[in-house]
Amino acid sequence: MMRAQQVSDLAWRGLILLISGFMALPLLLVVLFSFNQSALTSLPLTGLTLDWYRRLFAKDAFWPALENSLLVGFAAALLAIVTGTLAALALSRYKPRRAGLLINILSVPMMMPALIIGVSLMSYFVRFLDVPLGLWTVVLGHVVIAQPFVVLILYARLASFDWSAVDSARDLGASPLQAFFTVTLPIIQPTIVGAGLIALSISLDDFVIAFFTIGAGNTLPTLVWGLVRTSLDPTINAIATLLLALSIGSTILALRLSRYRG
Amino acid sequence: MGRKHWPLLPAGFLYAGVFVAPLLFFFVISFWSVKSRILRPDFTFKNYVATWVQYWDSMANTMAVALMIAAVTTLLAFGFAYAVRFKVGKLEGPLLFLALITLFGGYLVKIYAWKSILGRDGILNQALMELGLVDQPVDALLYNTNAVIITLTYFLLPFAILPIYGNLRAINPATIEAARDLGARRWAVMRDVILPQCEKGIVIAFTLAFLISAGDYVTPRFVGGGAAMMGHFIELQFSLGFNWPQGSAMSFSAMLLSLAIVLVLRAGFRRSLRP
Repeated sequence: MMRAQQVSDLAWRGLILLISGFMALPLLLVVLFSFNQSALTSLPLTGLTLDWYRRLFAKDAFWPALENSLLVGFAAALLAIVTGTLAALALSRYKPRRAGLLINILSVPMMMPALIIGVSLMSYFVRFLDVPLGLWTVVLGHVVIAQPFVVLILYARLASFDWSAVDSARDLGASPLQAFFTVTLPIIQPTIVGAGLIALSISLDDFVIAFFTIGAGNTLPTLVWGLVRTSLDPTINAIATLLLALSIGSTILALRLSRYRG
Repeated sequence: MGRKHWPLLPAGFLYAGVFVAPLLFFFVISFWSVKSRILRPDFTFKNYVATWVQYWDSMANTMAVALMIAAVTTLLAFGFAYAVRFKVGKLEGPLLFLALITLFGGYLVKIYAWKSILGRDGILNQALMELGLVDQPVDALLYNTNAVIITLTYFLLPFAILPIYGNLRAINPATIEAARDLGARRWAVMRDVILPQCEKGIVIAFTLAFLISAGDYVTPRFVGGGAAMMGHFIELQFSLGFNWPQGSAMSFSAMLLSLAIVLVLRAGFRRSLRP
């Protein structure tokens, strides 16, 4: 009996090792190769260098793309936390069943392939509204996919929120707005910032919607797309590492702030 | 509207104006026609007929590949989530963290990573040659359906792990021990205690993996060597073909078929869990 137990423990450990290796190694390789001297993506490393980063920063297309990505990301994150937090506040006062239904409806964009969101937005802006495409159309597209995450995270936080503090503030004569800004907001602020950072990483990571709704110009992902299509340029490893650092960095910060677990 | 409801308005307005309305308009376009590259309002079903006649093969292929990806992803995700929850002790936190940080990190980066791993000069070919298993680099690793399955599974795995783990976290290990003490066999514990508890998470993981991979076009183009997937052909209608109505009819056909498949599978899965 003991023996069978040991074998099974060993098998589970092996499985975990394999799957976590599968999840971590490809991204680690990209980071590693961004510092590798040789232009070939092969091991062993021929020596460490920052050349690929230097070349990337010397590219004319890089800086506007970075600027666009950050502009779109922060705008989308800000908008998404305003609409998402307000929605979560209203939903947290509903009966769980009704709130759950509304959250499911609001979450449909998470399940929808980005391609379909992208092309439908493009045809809507171009042909129905007849407005020029630009960064702001990308922002709107990103708010649509980021908003459900903000609602989910804030709703989960508000589920354990103690409303009695708000009620006492109201009893003591605070207006609803005063109560919100002096009691509710300070308590849920870390979660809001965390949700905002998740929204930022979603925006920074999106290629497909940006590609269809940006019109002219680039974000970092559309720049990567152009580079990968034309050549196997090792600066891609550098730009990929930067993108990873940006989105993983803000996700880690978000997790710490919102204490969100699964 | 009472004052309790108004905070829902901004989110609802955005949802209606930038998600529902574009989809509705996009749906309307699927009945339009194109003449010398100009869109013309119309009411024709010919785009749908063309979709099912011309693209039937790739539609079937897309669904088969997406099913494969969703099945592999859900299985791996369940194995990982289950082991992280019950088998690794103190490593539970760090391993979950690994899944969380790779969630939003680099859609394109992940595809690019696999392209360079599986490529002719890639690390896998190198390893195979070092080990003496092959004399020359194998070209067959990249630009085929297997490469698409590996890459999309890799991309979707964290998304599938989290909902399943979320359900598993609610199960007390003591419940499992109690079932075992009462004489339940391993498989019986799995079927009667664990699986019913994470039915919801498994369904979400599978649905998400299936729908996202059925609609992806970047991965097939990058590592699939033009593997005949619908997303690829839909995208072509907007870039090269300039036939939006056709692209729209293809999108709605593919979505409808995917949705039907998901609903049938979900019903089957739920039934199989009822004794």
